Amino acid sequence: MTTISSPMMPTDVRGGLHAPRVPPARRQLVSSAVLGMLIFIAVELMFFAGLISAFTIVKSSAVPGAWPPPGQPRLPLEVTGVNSLVLLASGALAWFAWRAFRSGAPAPRAARLQLGAAALGAAFVVVQSVEWTRLMGEGLTMRASTYGSFFYMIVGAHALHALAAIAALLWSWRRLTRGRLASSSFAAVLALWTFVVALWPVLYVLVYL
Amino acid sequence: MVVALAVALVVVWAPEALACSVCFDANGERREAFLATTIFLTLTPLAFVFAVVWWLRRRARDLDVIPPAE
Repeated sequence: MTTISSPMMPTDVRGGLHAPRVPPARRQLVSSAVLGMLIFIAVELMFFAGLISAFTIVKSSAVPGAWPPPGQPRLPLEVTGVNSLVLLASGALAWFAWRAFRSGAPAPRAARLQLGAAALGAAFVVVQSVEWTRLMGEGLTMRASTYGSFFYMIVGAHALHALAAIAALLWSWRRLTRGRLASSSFAAVLALWTFVVALWPVLYVLVYL
Repeated sequence: MVVALAVALVVVWAPEALACSVCFDANGERREAFLATTIFLTLTPLAFVFAVVWWLRRRARDLDVIPPAE
């Protein structure tokens, strides 16, 4: 007795032919764009976790009363605090844009919200850079002390991520205005921006307070 | 008997080997920082993975991909 064996035509051990089994339909749980972004965020999360850990140990190793080091300017708590609220508002706007996009609201509405999120994010980075310029003028530089090195390393790395995420927000806004933005791309950009926004309060409390 | 006594003495009298900063540091605050950051660096990736898995399971339920248990 011969049996016909083929991936498309499974047979049983007795050699009888059965109708080809149709595999159950699979639905994609998560898009490639979102999965890729989640992996990227995981990597960046550990990058910042490493920086935070190093900063915590160096800070705890300082002689009592010597952190921040004497002679170094104090960080602008109030201005950065208000700036943090601007960044949080930007994150909220991005989520409102996502909800408008998902609910089938007119594209211009979601696009306006997305542009608002990008604008507030850009305002955050601009205010931060103005503050850094002032701090550098007062002597807080990368080479001035470990304090300065960590400050610019941690906050600067966050700013670089913010800039990249703002570029992504603007890209998604442009696609939205043309009606060519895929839902998965929007979700990936939103995930990145949410990461950048959610990370900032942790850094603020750790570095500034 | 002598060997057993010698082993017991070695075990009892051997000094502790605290070879890493988490085990010992003259600066108590720094030791706590090492311990805290060790816990932080251990739990952060696990928390992220669990959060993603939880989200995927919830999403699977929402999409009704998982067949009902028999």
